[in-house]
Amino acid sequence: MNQWITLLNKEFLEMARNYKWIWVPLTFILLGVMDPLTTYYMPQIIDSVGGLPEGAVIDIPEPSAKEVFIMSLGEYQTIGILIIVLSMMGTIAGERKSGVAQLILVKPVSYISYITSKWTAALTLVVISLFLGFLASWYYTGVLFEFIPFGSFMAAFGLYALWIALVLTLVVFTSATLKHPGAAGMVTLVTVFVFNMLGSYFSHLLEWSPTKLLPYASEMLVSDKWPEHAWPATGMASILIILVLALTVIIFKRKELAD
Amino acid sequence: MALVRVENLVKSFKDLKVIKGLNFELEPGKCIALIGANGAGKTTTLKMLSGLLEPTHGSIHFEGENKDADHRRLIGYLPQHPVFYEWMTAREFLEYAGKLSGLNSREAKERSNELLELVGIDDAKNRRIGKFSGGMKQRLGIAQAIIHRPKLIMLDEPVSALDPFGRREVLELLEKLKQEATVLFSTHILNDAEEVCESILFLHDGEIIESGTMDQFREKYQQSKIDLVFQGRANDYLKSLNNDPKVISIKIEGNKASVFTSDIEEVKSTILNKAVKENWPLFKYEISSISLEDVFMKVVQK
Repeated sequence: MNQWITLLNKEFLEMARNYKWIWVPLTFILLGVMDPLTTYYMPQIIDSVGGLPEGAVIDIPEPSAKEVFIMSLGEYQTIGILIIVLSMMGTIAGERKSGVAQLILVKPVSYISYITSKWTAALTLVVISLFLGFLASWYYTGVLFEFIPFGSFMAAFGLYALWIALVLTLVVFTSATLKHPGAAGMVTLVTVFVFNMLGSYFSHLLEWSPTKLLPYASEMLVSDKWPEHAWPATGMASILIILVLALTVIIFKRKELAD
Repeated sequence: MALVRVENLVKSFKDLKVIKGLNFELEPGKCIALIGANGAGKTTTLKMLSGLLEPTHGSIHFEGENKDADHRRLIGYLPQHPVFYEWMTAREFLEYAGKLSGLNSREAKERSNELLELVGIDDAKNRRIGKFSGGMKQRLGIAQAIIHRPKLIMLDEPVSALDPFGRREVLELLEKLKQEATVLFSTHILNDAEEVCESILFLHDGEIIESGTMDQFREKYQQSKIDLVFQGRANDYLKSLNNDPKVISIKIEGNKASVFTSDIEEVKSTILNKAVKENWPLFKYEISSISLEDVFMKVVQK
């Protein structure tokens, strides 16, 4: 346990030294406020870039607060995931590539601690950043449009955070099993993309699929009611996270760490 | 009782057999040098002993340890090109390494201070490792390897990358380490091995072709050599010596020659007599005892 804390502290210190504690939350907050602001100020934005030609009548319906907030969710699903993958893909692969992993793992370090400490540190950073982003989006949506009930907001956050945790676990898995950080990032992004495609294509068959967590989060916001199939999906996501983590440790243990 | 017993150790990378069955024992409290040319398999052997590589066959057994037990706590290892977290300071890294090896915070702190002083990077302890020179990294590498007082310290080419001063200091450090633990280090510089080690393992092409203590080597290869330098081609003068039964071999390179013999007294006078009689244009005449380098060349050529 002491060793695990030592490893975790090192991860947090590293994140502080290379400013991850600043730029990841900032980017997430930026992603969160982008949609409420641009949607609200859309008429002024169109005016300032030259306006519409004389006589053009375009009726932009005022979107509801819920719609605006759901647009924000979309930003995390694309740019947010990209940032998570890019910032975490080197967490293990980078240490192996540089050779510093040799110095660390020749010490009596438990492989489980090594992997889970990295996972915990990354998860802490990402969940806090995501929460700050969500909160910023919620606040601006509330100020400019209408406040969404906080309970629904928290439930939607919980559902979506679980999906992000699964993505993060995948990054840790690829980073531990592939030698190049770039390859780890690529494989993760392709995997997430393919699963999302399959998930939305076979949407009616895969109600328990973790890829449905984002639609369920939106549904939660729209209806203010916990979606019917949300529990199986959260259960499935949790099981997958544990399985992938276990698999990561098993494969990492068997890998030859030198070269 | 040996500290470590290695039996029939084999390592293959795909089809390439890099280590072809090593058998050796490491005695406690000794310094053992692993000598071999580049590509002989020194690093691979050390990595297997440290647990970073899995042997394809064979076993590594530590005294008093279960066969499958994790024996990493008994080992300190310094890779050939140590890489650290560049964003850490030397002190932070040592404390981190200490805590990972099972020391508590206070012990790690005390031991780090002690070692920073021992390896001579005390003034740089609060600097980021990214700013360190190669020699400083090597010293820090040694410090992190011994922080938990391991029973076996393995160093992969610890002095090859250092300047003469650094080399001197590291060799003196090895002298000190020998008193606390078994030291196994690899090198291709034979003088270094000769200086600090009692035992030597010659590795060639994945096999141990010779092993023993320095004294055994001296006895076994008890030969003397006479170095000669001529004005002109040495071959022209030394032909007649080839038939002398006391002469083991003659190595000729242009105007230089080395005559190896088992009976120095007789060959000495034979050569001197010839030199006077035939009026050899000799520049240099020197009698020396055989060095580790000569043994190495002989053993490799076998």
